[in-house]
Amino acid sequence: MQSMEFPLVLFTVLSQAAIGLTLMRAVRTTSGGEEAAGRTEWLLIAGLMVAGLLGSLFHLGHPLSAPMALTHLGTAWLSREVLFAGLFMGVAALAVVAGNVAGKPALAWLGTALGLGVILSAGMTYAPPALPALNNALPAAFFLTSAVLLGAGFGSWFADEGLRPLMVRIFTGAVVVGLVLYLVAPCVWLSGGEVMRMTGQAWLASGFYWAHLGVLAVALAVAWKTRDIPAWLPVLVLIGELVGRAGFFADTVHTAANMGGLY
Amino acid sequence: MKKQYAFLVDSERCIGCFTCAMACRNYYHQEEGVVWRQVYPLSEEIYPHRERAFLSLACNHCEDPACLNVCPVNAYTKREEDGVVVHHQEKCIGCGNCIRSCPYGAPKYNPVEKRAEKCSFCHERLDAGLKPACVQSCPTKALQLVDLAEMQQTNQVQYPAGYPKMEKLNPSTRFILPKTPKMVRR
Repeated sequence: MQSMEFPLVLFTVLSQAAIGLTLMRAVRTTSGGEEAAGRTEWLLIAGLMVAGLLGSLFHLGHPLSAPMALTHLGTAWLSREVLFAGLFMGVAALAVVAGNVAGKPALAWLGTALGLGVILSAGMTYAPPALPALNNALPAAFFLTSAVLLGAGFGSWFADEGLRPLMVRIFTGAVVVGLVLYLVAPCVWLSGGEVMRMTGQAWLASGFYWAHLGVLAVALAVAWKTRDIPAWLPVLVLIGELVGRAGFFADTVHTAANMGGLY
Repeated sequence: MKKQYAFLVDSERCIGCFTCAMACRNYYHQEEGVVWRQVYPLSEEIYPHRERAFLSLACNHCEDPACLNVCPVNAYTKREEDGVVVHHQEKCIGCGNCIRSCPYGAPKYNPVEKRAEKCSFCHERLDAGLKPACVQSCPTKALQLVDLAEMQQTNQVQYPAGYPKMEKLNPSTRFILPKTPKMVRR
C-alpha cells in the first residue's frame, strides 16, 4: 500500500467539484434562466478551487517554489495541469469580483473548457507507466465522472425549479457511470499482468473502495426514490469521492513493488 | 549510435552481497531509508534453484526517461556526452511526480531535503576517469560500466524476467542471465 496522498486527494476532488459546478452552470444558463444566483455559485466555485490549490501545496516539499511547476510545459502534464488550474481559477475569480459578468454563459463555457483542460492533464499526470492499472484513460474517466457527479449534486443547490429535474437526471447518470466504472475496472485488472492483478486485488480488499461504492449506491437509491437531490446528498457524495480518491492513490500498485518477481 | 553509458549486471556472477549498494551509500552518505542502488532477489517463479539469483538495480539512465518527461520544474537533464540522466536537486520542489512515474523506482524521496534524488551514475567520478562507486566495489565483477554504442552484442538481454519491460523508455541497463545449475548424478 502506498501513501493516500491527502493533499492530492483534496486538490483533485475539490477542483473537480469546482469544474463540475462550472459545467452545470454553463448547461443551465444555456438552457435558460439562472442569472440571479450567478455570483454565489461562482463564489463556491472559486472557494472550492482555492481550497484545493492550497491543499495541493502541502504535497510539495518546497511549497514556496510551486510557481516553478509551470516551467516544463513541453512534456510535463503536471505543468499543464498547473497552467489550466491557474487559468480556471482566474476565470472564477473574475466572475466573483466583477459581479455583473457572473451570469454570462460565455464565462461559464470558458471556465468549462479550461476545467476540462485541468481534468485531461490531471488524468495524464496520474496515468504514468509505473502504474499499469492506471496507465490508460481510466484516471481521466474517473476524474470526469467525479466532476459531473459533484457538479450536478452541488449545482442542484443553485438550479431553479424548472431545471432541477435536469440536474437530477445528470446526477443519476453520473452515479450509474461511476458505479459501472469502479465495479468493472478492478475486475478487468484481475485478468491483466501481475502488477495490474495486484492492483485489482488491493482495490477489492480496500475499505476506501467499498466505502466509495457504498456512498454511490446510497446516492443512486436516494435520487431514484425521491426523484430529487436532497441538500445533504452532495455533501455525502463529496465525502465519498474524497474516500474513493484516497483509495485511488493508496491502493494502486507501483511496478517497483514487484521488482524481481514476474510481470 | 551516440555514447550511452550503461550498467551491465551479470546475474551469473552476482552473489547478492549488497557491496554495490553499500558502496553507493558510503560514497553519498544518503539519509536513512534513501537507497539509490538496491539488490533484488529473483523470485522462485523465475529462478527455482537452491542457489539464488539477483538483479542489482539503480537508475537505468533511459533513452526517453519518464522522470525527465514528467518533472514540472526541469530538474532532470540527460547529458549529451554520455547519456547519463542527472537530477539537479536544487531545482526540485519535491512534488514526487518522478517517484510516482519511474517504473523502476529509481528516484527516491529525501525526507530531510524534502526533494527527490537518484543514482547519478557517479558522473563526477566518470568525468575524472573513474568508475562508479558501485562498479568499482563489486567483488565478483558482476557489475560493469559499458558504453552501449561500443558494446559487443552477445548474450546480454535488456528485459530479463523480474524487470519491467518498458520499451518506450528504452532503459540502458543490460543483463546477463543466471545459468541453470548443473545436476550431478551418481
